Amino acid sequence: MAMVDEPLYPIAVLIDELKNDDIQLRLNSIRRLSTIARALGEERTRKELIPFLSENSDDDDEVLLAMAEELGVFIPFVGGIEFAHVLLPPLESLCTVEETCVREKAVESLCKIGSQMKENDLVESFVPLVKRLAGGEWFAARVSACGIFHVAYQGCTDVLKTELRATYSQLCKDDMPMVRRAAASNLGKFATTVESTFLIAEIMTMFDDLTKDDQDSVRLLAVEGCAALGKLLEPQDCVARILPVIVNFSQDKSWRVRYMVANQLYELCEAVGPDCTRTDLVPAYVRLLRDNEAEVRIAAAGKVTKFCRLLNPELAIQHILPCVKELSSDSSQHVRSALASVIMGMAPILGKDSTIEHLLPIFLSLLKDEFPDVRLNIISKLDQVNQVIGIDLLSQSLLPAIVELAEDRHWRVRLAIIEYVPLLASQLGIGFFDDKLGALCMQWLQDKVYSIREAAANNLKRLAEEFGPEWAMQHLVPQVLDMVNNPHYLHRMMVLRAISLMAPVMGSEITCSKFLPVVVEASKDRVPNIKFNVAKLLQSLIPIVDQSVVDKTIRQCLVDLSEDPDVDVRYFANQALNSIDGSTAAQS
Amino acid sequence: MWKQILSKLPKKSSSKNHSSSSSSTSKSSDNGASKSGNSQTQNAPPVKPSADSGFKEGNLKGNGNGFTPYEALPGFKDVPNAEKQNLFVRKLSLCCVVFDFSDPTKNVKEKDIKRQTLLELVDYVASPNGKFSETVIQEVVRMVSVNIFRTLNPQPRENKVIDALDLEEEEPSMDPTWPHLQLVYEILLRLIASPETDTKLAKKYIDQSFVSRLLDLFDSEDPRERDCLKTVLHRIYGKFMVHRPFIRKSINNIFYRFVFETEKHNGIAEFLEILGSIINGFALPLKDEHKVFLVRALVPLHKPKSLQMYHQQLSYCITQFVEKDCKLADTVIRGLLKSWPVTNSSKEVMFLNELEEVLEATQPPEFQRCMVPLFRQVARCLNSLHFQVAERALFLWNNDHIENLIMQNRKVILPIIFPALERNTQKHWNQAVHSLTLNVQKIFNDIDAELFKDCLAKFREDESKEAEIGAKREATWKRLEEIGNQKQKSSL
Repeated sequence: MAMVDEPLYPIAVLIDELKNDDIQLRLNSIRRLSTIARALGEERTRKELIPFLSENSDDDDEVLLAMAEELGVFIPFVGGIEFAHVLLPPLESLCTVEETCVREKAVESLCKIGSQMKENDLVESFVPLVKRLAGGEWFAARVSACGIFHVAYQGCTDVLKTELRATYSQLCKDDMPMVRRAAASNLGKFATTVESTFLIAEIMTMFDDLTKDDQDSVRLLAVEGCAALGKLLEPQDCVARILPVIVNFSQDKSWRVRYMVANQLYELCEAVGPDCTRTDLVPAYVRLLRDNEAEVRIAAAGKVTKFCRLLNPELAIQHILPCVKELSSDSSQHVRSALASVIMGMAPILGKDSTIEHLLPIFLSLLKDEFPDVRLNIISKLDQVNQVIGIDLLSQSLLPAIVELAEDRHWRVRLAIIEYVPLLASQLGIGFFDDKLGALCMQWLQDKVYSIREAAANNLKRLAEEFGPEWAMQHLVPQVLDMVNNPHYLHRMMVLRAISLMAPVMGSEITCSKFLPVVVEASKDRVPNIKFNVAKLLQSLIPIVDQSVVDKTIRQCLVDLSEDPDVDVRYFANQALNSIDGSTAAQS
Repeated sequence: MWKQILSKLPKKSSSKNHSSSSSSTSKSSDNGASKSGNSQTQNAPPVKPSADSGFKEGNLKGNGNGFTPYEALPGFKDVPNAEKQNLFVRKLSLCCVVFDFSDPTKNVKEKDIKRQTLLELVDYVASPNGKFSETVIQEVVRMVSVNIFRTLNPQPRENKVIDALDLEEEEPSMDPTWPHLQLVYEILLRLIASPETDTKLAKKYIDQSFVSRLLDLFDSEDPRERDCLKTVLHRIYGKFMVHRPFIRKSINNIFYRFVFETEKHNGIAEFLEILGSIINGFALPLKDEHKVFLVRALVPLHKPKSLQMYHQQLSYCITQFVEKDCKLADTVIRGLLKSWPVTNSSKEVMFLNELEEVLEATQPPEFQRCMVPLFRQVARCLNSLHFQVAERALFLWNNDHIENLIMQNRKVILPIIFPALERNTQKHWNQAVHSLTLNVQKIFNDIDAELFKDCLAKFREDESKEAEIGAKREATWKRLEEIGNQKQKSSL
């Protein structure tokens, strides 16, 4: 205890720890910065700790990242909001390091701090910091600057605001594409803080510059800004300024830009309103749906339903449906797959008659697609169609599709279809299920791949929940219990797994009468893995069954297992016994 | 029989209006080529139908009637000399039609005519005919632009395709257009390399926009194309002095984007190969601009995951710098240390290889400036559980120059690496690492037994205190926490 008497200098501890060769120790001490700060007190934190950190930006990026994060929540330790400005210098230097993650975190922390600062503090210390970074010699500083303008702008004077806008427009024309990209991606955020008078006059000019950039990577980010800016503008301005840009972008020579438009078009439509959507954006969207580049068609196809929701059914049938028909036999399976994942959603929009007339043939052809992804995507959204036209029209094509997927040679496909079985069961009803799917569910339990067997067991539980214990008693339990004599121990193990999942659903009575005897029998298996799984399973059954059953059957079985020659069996048996004792102790 | 007759029909009926066809296609190209500057003149047929037209066939079908005349022109030897240039230009415009290669059965005959014509053009450009006239240069550049400047196909989607699981071994994708592209590149290369080309005239057409689009093509997935581009760009850099700063700046920007944003680019190795020879030619003393390039572009290139794709070329560039100016050694070494891989062993081996090459050119003053952090890292590598990493680190002692540097500074270095060496001899699983370590220990022991003994004693002492130090650290933090709590209480 002699150590306690030594005087302790918190800063010295930190300096010492940060010198350590082991990066984990340095990280730990940065993570405990708040401890040091509290030990120092607010004033010395401001005067000693923070200046020390400002100079210590030469560590590994991982340590700097941690520092940038900690500083973002450091205001309480330096004495509250009025002292927040002391945190700016270390973060400023972190904004200029090479590593992107560190810079981004520092920007995030600066935004957190800046948004809490008082107006005059902002003017005095935050705005100058923004200006310094924006004028930085190296692109890292200028990139970081782009991300904090919106914080600085809100609370400052008109003169400074003018200056900040001018600086930002400078960044939009920066020599380095890196900086222009940062300016483009932050323009929307900055614009939300700018007064509407300057929005048209200045921000839109910057935006126009960016949309004409010769680097497609910059234009790409400008597209993203379209929607954000569009929402800020008055509808008529939006139509006048944003719409032509979007239409232009949808014919950009770079497919990446067109791809972005395809992804964003839906939001842009909301910004320009329904009228322009009909007259200008529908043609643009149709163009994208028929783009040369598969990637663009994928993006466009994925938005078909959302887009149609904005239109009236006639327009959708007239303009969009022909494209959808083409896409359903597109040469790229990814396009078909994207289409399949959303197309069921069109049914409620088009209504029953049009769905039967136009969509049903498409559904059916996609259900027969050669690629399993496409079929799966259709099946996964079955409920949406069921509500509109009922499932009968589909069920004939459905079953072959399901059976084929259930036996697909790729286990991931089988896994995916198993996950949809409960959905199918609820949509198709008990009758259909009993006839066709029941056998499949049992077949999966004996799959070659563990994940499939596991999913199959889980599936039984979900089916029991869906159709109730009585039905399960009839259709699932006997088949499962039959497998307990399977010569392969992995399959016997699956029985235990299925029991453990189904027991809570089936309830105490069935568990005692049907499951427990099988489990006890299994405890005499010759494979140790089965036996310790029995022990684990028995432990999980304890809360389900009556205390008398525990005392009479389970305990005895576990005691036997706890004397097994195999160490693992003994271990799990003892663990289960302990939990019995624990629960009885708690009850008494 | 019928097929033969049919295939002859359209050709006969259309052979007259051939000359009009190229101008009729030109009008539709306006929006496709509007941004491309003057090197691709308005006359060009569309490279690829612009986004809106939506058809995916070759341009031949664009004109509506399903077949446009496409016929071979007479050979150069069949016309009088005076006619040759005229014919050359006509052949060039013939080659401005771009065919769809995604369907190999389509336009087979026309494709072959174009290939033959391109071959003739290659020969023509290569044979001395006197200075190339401005029209010739302009037309060649136009033809080249139409053919090579296309949007690169996106990479096939990641393994969402279940059947693609078998294709895990990533094969470079080959551009089906290559039979034509190759010849087009050949023509461009010969034009640029030819002594008959007047640089002053040519730079009007091989302008910044042309170069910039050429740089974009380096992202091509086809290694054959990148190889051609490499040669072409290198020649342009050599011949067109005006473009040099622009080329360097643009490559820099591509590097920055690659390192700090996307980590995706296919042409980094090719760029570095060109830069390697450019750096080789830098005059001494090095300009600041070039040193900045080393520190801010080349050194960070060690970070991306795909380093393996271009490490050889990068390492060459770096060592070129250090060999030119040995004062840069410690900057480079510190840079390497900063992006030293933590879990990627194969990358770590590459770093160690490069480190050895850099150290080879390092002089004692620079070595001393960075040796402490350097040997902390080396110590970690010595203890690596991946035997190749440990082995590679131990091989540093096989290099005489490096061994000398180490031995001269053994008073600093041995204490840093001693624990690592000792731990290896005690419990490294790999036999080779084990014996190599013993060897290194022996070198130290032979040269300075006294120091060795001290280090051993210190190691034993530290080892016995390890638990204590850990406990003390915990206690210190605990006390700090208590002090903090007390302060908070008293201030309330």
